[in-house]
Amino acid sequence: MSVGRYSHRNPLSGQGEGIRRNGPGGGFGGPLFSLLAGAFVRLSAARAFFFPLSPTTERGRVWASPRSLTPALFISLLSTLLVACNSRRFPASTFAPRSDLGHWVQEVYFEVIGWDVLILVLICVLIFLCLTRYSTRASEDQPKRPPPHPESLGLEVAWTAGPALILLFIAVPSLRIVFRSQTRKPPSDALIIKVTAHQWWWQFDYPSMSIHTANEVHLPMGRPVRFLLQSNDVIHSFWIPMEGGKRDVVPGHVNELTFTPQVAGSFIGECAEFCGLSHANMRFQVVVQNHVAFDDWRANEAGGPRIAAAGSAKQGERIYMTSACTTCHAISGYSAGYIGPNLTHFGSRATFAGNTLPNTPHNLAAWITNPEALKPGAQMPPLGLRGNELNELVAYLESLK
Amino acid sequence: MVALPKQIEVDENYLHGGGILGWLTTIDHKRIGVLYGLTTLFFFLIGGIEALLMRIQLARPENTFLSAYLYNEMFTMHGTTMIFLVVMPVGLGFFANFLVPLQIGARDVAFPRLNALSYWIFLFGALVLNIGWLANAVPDAGWFGYANLTERYYSPGINIDFWSLGLLISGIGSVLSGLNLLVTVVNLRAPGMTFMRMPLFVWSVLVMFVLVLVAFPPLTVGLIFLVMDRFFGTHFYQVVAGATPLLWQHLFWLFGHPEVYIMVLPAFGIMSEIVPVFSRKPLYGYPVMAYSTALIGFLSYGVWAHHMFAVGMGPVADSAFALTSMLIAIPTGIKIFSWIATMWGGDLKMKTPFLFALAFIVQFTMGGLSGIMHAQPPIDLQQTDSYFVVAHFHYVLFGGSAFALLGGLYYWWPKVTGRLLDERLGKLNFWTIVIGFNLTFFPMHLLGGEGMPRRIYHYAPDMGWNTLNLLCTIGAFTMAFSVLVLLINILKTVRGGEMAGPDPWDGRTLEWKVPSPPPEYNFRQIPVVRARDQFWREKYGFETGGLQPSDAVRPPATPDALAGEIHLPAPSIYPILLAAGITMAALGMLIWTRIALCGAFLIVYCAIAMAFEYPDAGAQSAASAATATGLDTRKIGIWSFIGSESLFFASLIATYLIYKGRDLAGPTAETMLEVPLSTVTTFVLLMSSLTMVLAQDAYRRTDRLWGLRWLFATIVLGLIFLGGQVYEFNSFFHKGMTLQTNLFSQTFYTMVGFHGAHVAIGVIVLLALGAASLTGWFERHHRDVAVECAALYWHFVDIVWVVIFSVVYLMRAVTKA
Repeated sequence: MSVGRYSHRNPLSGQGEGIRRNGPGGGFGGPLFSLLAGAFVRLSAARAFFFPLSPTTERGRVWASPRSLTPALFISLLSTLLVACNSRRFPASTFAPRSDLGHWVQEVYFEVIGWDVLILVLICVLIFLCLTRYSTRASEDQPKRPPPHPESLGLEVAWTAGPALILLFIAVPSLRIVFRSQTRKPPSDALIIKVTAHQWWWQFDYPSMSIHTANEVHLPMGRPVRFLLQSNDVIHSFWIPMEGGKRDVVPGHVNELTFTPQVAGSFIGECAEFCGLSHANMRFQVVVQNHVAFDDWRANEAGGPRIAAAGSAKQGERIYMTSACTTCHAISGYSAGYIGPNLTHFGSRATFAGNTLPNTPHNLAAWITNPEALKPGAQMPPLGLRGNELNELVAYLESLK
Repeated sequence: MVALPKQIEVDENYLHGGGILGWLTTIDHKRIGVLYGLTTLFFFLIGGIEALLMRIQLARPENTFLSAYLYNEMFTMHGTTMIFLVVMPVGLGFFANFLVPLQIGARDVAFPRLNALSYWIFLFGALVLNIGWLANAVPDAGWFGYANLTERYYSPGINIDFWSLGLLISGIGSVLSGLNLLVTVVNLRAPGMTFMRMPLFVWSVLVMFVLVLVAFPPLTVGLIFLVMDRFFGTHFYQVVAGATPLLWQHLFWLFGHPEVYIMVLPAFGIMSEIVPVFSRKPLYGYPVMAYSTALIGFLSYGVWAHHMFAVGMGPVADSAFALTSMLIAIPTGIKIFSWIATMWGGDLKMKTPFLFALAFIVQFTMGGLSGIMHAQPPIDLQQTDSYFVVAHFHYVLFGGSAFALLGGLYYWWPKVTGRLLDERLGKLNFWTIVIGFNLTFFPMHLLGGEGMPRRIYHYAPDMGWNTLNLLCTIGAFTMAFSVLVLLINILKTVRGGEMAGPDPWDGRTLEWKVPSPPPEYNFRQIPVVRARDQFWREKYGFETGGLQPSDAVRPPATPDALAGEIHLPAPSIYPILLAAGITMAALGMLIWTRIALCGAFLIVYCAIAMAFEYPDAGAQSAASAATATGLDTRKIGIWSFIGSESLFFASLIATYLIYKGRDLAGPTAETMLEVPLSTVTTFVLLMSSLTMVLAQDAYRRTDRLWGLRWLFATIVLGLIFLGGQVYEFNSFFHKGMTLQTNLFSQTFYTMVGFHGAHVAIGVIVLLALGAASLTGWFERHHRDVAVECAALYWHFVDIVWVVIFSVVYLMRAVTKA
């Protein structure tokens, strides 16, 4: 084993350890070329470090320069970023804006990423150059005379003023968006939706349309929407990644989030402030529709519940009215509970339980049997319903389209 | 108990001798540093295991490895442990504590017993934080525990009580450490070591000490409010009475942002030591580096609300904090470029410490750049509270701080233990941790970008997060393997490693002059410093530096101590007992009041015993030592303490003002306050300051009789003031104003109550001084400076009262505009 132990007097002398210079070493032209060429050489050097093919010489093994992986890492990171914009694979992506606010944010986002990448490349190149030029290669017993070290005022000014200028380039568009997205005068034609966050579900009320629903909010495409955010208990955060940034929902305050959805579709919303046991189960669904579809939905939603037809659903209605359900839930004209979500048009929702379960009879039955098993900490108690009674209640609820 | 200074044999290794009792009673900064190092290493492993458990849970969607309850405990404890029990204490208690005296040419820190006290308080606080594991009641509301989730109603268990009490206890330890080391750097520098000749590590941690002193008080106040809400029924953070949960966020982040700089400054300092040594070049642009470090510390106070861009502060506040946050990037960038410039043209030695330094530059830059993104509110509103910010802070805290700390570990290990760590295992450790770290945390940028919120115990399978999460988990286990390699390295070399000798790396600073490991007294003869990088110049001659040694600084005629006659303070049992007392007082609140009373008694007893423990120490330092500033070390200590306490009262007064006028009902300042009575008591307190000055003057003239009379007068006036306060509180109580009545009542009672407690402590101190003077002990042992220190404290408490009186009483009719 020829990798020697260092003399304890001066292990830096390189005795017993030789370092060969790696890479093109700067004579080959532009930095970009040497960056890419260096990347390949660094990768092979790294390979050599872990799996040395060359026999160990008296001077020792080839030590790779430590940042050999960085350029390769870098390129792969960039490409992954580009892949990340695919919204079908990522239904809650922040890189696929679907609203005006989202697009404003996107512009600033990519500008800053660009500057960041540039600065990081610069730093990596500088280090790479340091390592290729100035790493110890000779093996000497006595340390050499320390190298000279001139200092340059111009350099210091450059690396102070340069970043300051770049920050200015970033700050101006960024602050412009801050003011644009939080205007003193909200758009006059905005649809106002009151959002009340509970542990762990979302209540949506449309004051101008007499609509009260939960966990699923419908928006008309192309019309500004103004969310008025309140909390019933602790701090939550209202976040629809594809529509723009989030806003915290703080008890005792009314926060606002305004944007104009521009693309129809179904999007995921999330709670983004830790709010207790089931913070992870507090999603909501956002459905953006064209005007025709939205008007249909609105008309249906503003009306009363479907009267249950005879049969299971009618039996279920009786069970509902005689169980504890009415204490917490509201069905327009039937019960007026406000602790749990409004169920007037429950059957028309695609998901429930904080957008964590698809709205199917099977899931609903499992939920009613034991809510806390599906949502830790849920305040809804198991009702002890079984068999036919359970199925009838489920049928009733699913009939509330 | 009379404790004589020890007679030291030369060449004694600080690690040897004394047995277990020796370690329990040690006041040697090096031993205390080692204790901190071992404790933080232990908690690093605990925090790492908590992280691994989380990563196992998140490796697959909808996993059931950890329940929601356990997962929430894990992320809370991982954060709390890593921040409060690992990164901050290892920087403050291990690196700074061990190295500062050596690097400035001192024998120990300014207050050795306080140093020991800080450690034991830290250890007991850490135990209180973790006691919950035994009770299935581990803190579970996140490491920054936002109100009002932490209120009793929403967190009914004792989880949060362990958290708040544990943090309060260990916070005391941190502040005492910061104070101690600050005074050390200011006053115990070797002759000739001006500020601009200090190693840059000392500069960096000096700024850190100031930050510690000034950042902890808002946290203390915030935690006190939380404890009061949870135990005494107040409503500091509850909406029901008109309060706002955002008060917690402001108080917390006023602490929290300087805290992250507290965590990174030692890393900056370590970088500034390693890079020059392994480039064999002096640090590029030393003055600018020093000033930019100080600037970073100063600016860190202006950026706290960038953690709150999402709470709806309004566009003006958002913009202001965005700008200040961007501003702080400029001095940070200067440092990065300066380190690279140091390497440029140097003679680079690729040893493990230097590899970590290189990794620091790249990883910290990446973290800082994602920080620039976070400083833009529009972008931050997408990124905050998602995995993007988790990636950001792990890049700066782990890729930044932890990598530098690891580099520092490899670098100074030979000095601490006398043996070198194995270089091959070191390189394996380095490579696996770099790869593992990037594999764990880079995908988190993407996860955040794809909408994954943080602190979720599971996620749905159709969000597109599955592969990335699996990558993160694989990376986490790679990091675990790397830590295992480090442990093996440590275990392997602690007995059989290669002996290092005093200067294994061809170092530049004074700690490489002494043997490895150093003797207890550090230097046989206190060095005289004539230039920056003094030791380097001694080795290579003064010409190589390009600077001429300054002959204008003359060393004092008699150096601090001659070899053969070194006086060191003896070990003391009181630090560990006092720390136990503090812990008992805190835990007693949870368990049994009698324990709290025992704890309080122990605190008072130990404090007084410590004051009288070394009768001759006062005389010695006053007479012989030439301090770097010419001022008495203990007075600088009191000034530092006053600086810290100012912020404590400022936070209380600010809360009072914020909540003024927000009451919906109940007593207000105008209806309740009796200004005539309060004017009289204020006058009494001001007069007590006058009598205190007269007492000071009498003692300076060694006129014991009049000194005692004026001291007695001060005590009486102080008691009259306290009597007035008790009368006032009593009359309010009888008018129906209790602590819980409304916002005015709770802020008033808390603020004035704490002030009264400070006066009461002052009275006790003066009584102790009076007793010491009455028995003649005082004069026999020349403790005049004790009167000066007590007087400074007394005047400070008076000035705080003047502020409170003006703001609360005189301006009682002024409401919000």
